[in-house]
Amino acid sequence: MSIRLLALIPVAAAISLALSAAVDAVALPLFLDTTGTILATALAGPGVGIATGVVTSAVNTLRNPTFWPFVVVQIVVALYAWVAARAGLFRSFRTAVPAGLGLGVIASVTSTPISYLVFGCTTTGGIALTTALGKAIGLSPLGACFFGSFVSDFGDKAVTFALVTSVLHGLPRRTAARFPWALRAIGAA
Amino acid sequence: MKSLRLDHASFWYPATASPALRDVSLEVAPGEVVALVGALGAGASTLLLVAGDLAPRVTGGRLEGTAARRDRSGIVLPTPWTQVSGMAFTVWDEVAFGPANLGWPAHEISRQVDHALERLELVPLASRDPATLSGGELQRVIIAAILAMDPGLVLLDEPAAELDAEGARTLWRLIRVLAKEGKGILLATSALDALPEVADRVVWLEQGAVRAVGTPDLLAEAALCDAGLGTSVATVWRDSELPEPAPLTISDAVRRWR
Amino acid sequence: MTGLRLHPFTLLAIAGTLPALAWILPAPVGGAWTAAIALTLAASRGLRPGLWPALLTAAPFWLFLLLLHDVPTTIAIGLRITTMVASFVWLVAALEPARLVEAMVAAGWSASVAYLLAATLSAVPVLKTRAQRIVEAQRCRGLSPRGGIAARLRALRALALPLILSALHEVDERALALETRGLVPGIRRTPLAPPPDPALEQATRWALCLACLAALVRRLIVPSPP
Repeated sequence: MSIRLLALIPVAAAISLALSAAVDAVALPLFLDTTGTILATALAGPGVGIATGVVTSAVNTLRNPTFWPFVVVQIVVALYAWVAARAGLFRSFRTAVPAGLGLGVIASVTSTPISYLVFGCTTTGGIALTTALGKAIGLSPLGACFFGSFVSDFGDKAVTFALVTSVLHGLPRRTAARFPWALRAIGAA
Repeated sequence: MKSLRLDHASFWYPATASPALRDVSLEVAPGEVVALVGALGAGASTLLLVAGDLAPRVTGGRLEGTAARRDRSGIVLPTPWTQVSGMAFTVWDEVAFGPANLGWPAHEISRQVDHALERLELVPLASRDPATLSGGELQRVIIAAILAMDPGLVLLDEPAAELDAEGARTLWRLIRVLAKEGKGILLATSALDALPEVADRVVWLEQGAVRAVGTPDLLAEAALCDAGLGTSVATVWRDSELPEPAPLTISDAVRRWR
Repeated sequence: MTGLRLHPFTLLAIAGTLPALAWILPAPVGGAWTAAIALTLAASRGLRPGLWPALLTAAPFWLFLLLLHDVPTTIAIGLRITTMVASFVWLVAALEPARLVEAMVAAGWSASVAYLLAATLSAVPVLKTRAQRIVEAQRCRGLSPRGGIAARLRALRALALPLILSALHEVDERALALETRGLVPGIRRTPLAPPPDPALEQATRWALCLACLAALVRRLIVPSPP
């Protein structure tokens, strides 16, 4: 791994962890905690993306230990983002947002068993309450848990994909050209 | 052998059509201080990166011509907060970061680090967390960190940008001491008033090419003053339409006046 | 306990073993033991830095578990989560990042791996401060959390984009700085202050690993009581 890609990982991980200030300021129910992972993958490939995801989870865990089991989700997100980047899906919002929605489904599917088995679907208050709602309308425990994860993940991943698309298009060409995957991700190579 | 030798060096950043450096030939001898002056975007920073074997190796891009160094080089960039290692939690450890990466034995690391801290007057700050330092203090730490690696060629990009007047004076004095020790120094700076005391030669860069080379007296010439690259005294002298030649420094002006 | 400075790897081993055992050992007794040990460790760091954060972080989980599950399930999962939370709270209070970095270097781990963790820890507060400044600057220009979803998403973009682009721009400078300071892949870095690693602690770490393995094997092989 080149020194520039090594330098990218902590910056990308820190981006994920620092965006909470922006999210709070606009009062939207989002996490954006995979932004750095998706961005790093789109710029530099799955190895860098996975490393970013693992580092993000590790540092997040120091703040809140319940994050660590979800490191698997960060890895899955990196792999999905790589497929999306290879297909040039970051070339516009019209391709990126549906791709993000798809990731929302996959992320929920991945996080549900973790949430169910490790936390009994109480990962966050929001997920717990939505799970209770799911149970109330007759879903199975696992189904209700998926419902809880899905509601929070679906929009979050779509917004994250849109944000990463904006960033990739906002990079000066000279900067983008220095990352192996950046131009391909926006369909420019 | 020269500390640095650039031979007809031209450099293009990735995905850019026009070169950032055009056919630059430049030598820095051991013990010599060469200053690069020029407008923003003239190519001084790029020249330093090429001199330090960082462009195109780390930046990407294309180099034509050659760049050869006799010894290991170390570069100090203008923004100290991006140069912090991120792995050190005290100033001492930050300065020791480079020597430790070189795999030097512990006693040698201690010697170099203590020496560098003394030179940059950082001994009182040795156990401070770098994250708590001011911009000026951090810049001095970074300079110490590079010097602790004992480079033969020292590359400085606007090293005084974050420093106060006293810190800048300490730095200019240190540069002369380093030159006396036999190090080659290539320095890009907009602190033109310091150059008559600090630099042995001045290189004027414009749009990536060498426009003129000479002693610091160059900074009193009409062309440079018109380009905003003269010393303050020379610029004021010319603007006041006083007789040629324009003095370079205050002491020159006082001598002329008397 | 406050005066005792364990090797960072020992701290990690203990903080990893307790939650692992909480899940492997039969509930609720297994979880009760591990939670008790973890809470004791957390309390050993003091009430404010240790015990209170552990209890306050774990409490909401108990509440939501009661909402969703019956009492036995709540107790079983609650004790496991409490073990995890208390172990990590203790770890964060006891682990010094500088010692961990030095331990990794002394153990021959790649300097790059040590760099990744340490550099992220250093970068987060810097970016958080910058994000806050961008938010304040935009507030002066009329940013408000009111308005429809579309307006808020546009505002989010206006906040997030400068933060991310400026951070990415700095990657190049960071790479140049690291390269010039000799942090290249494959180097053998000299440890500056390697933490002592007594044989007893090394043996303890192995023992903890084996204990987890043994518990796992026993759990898989021995049938649970009806």
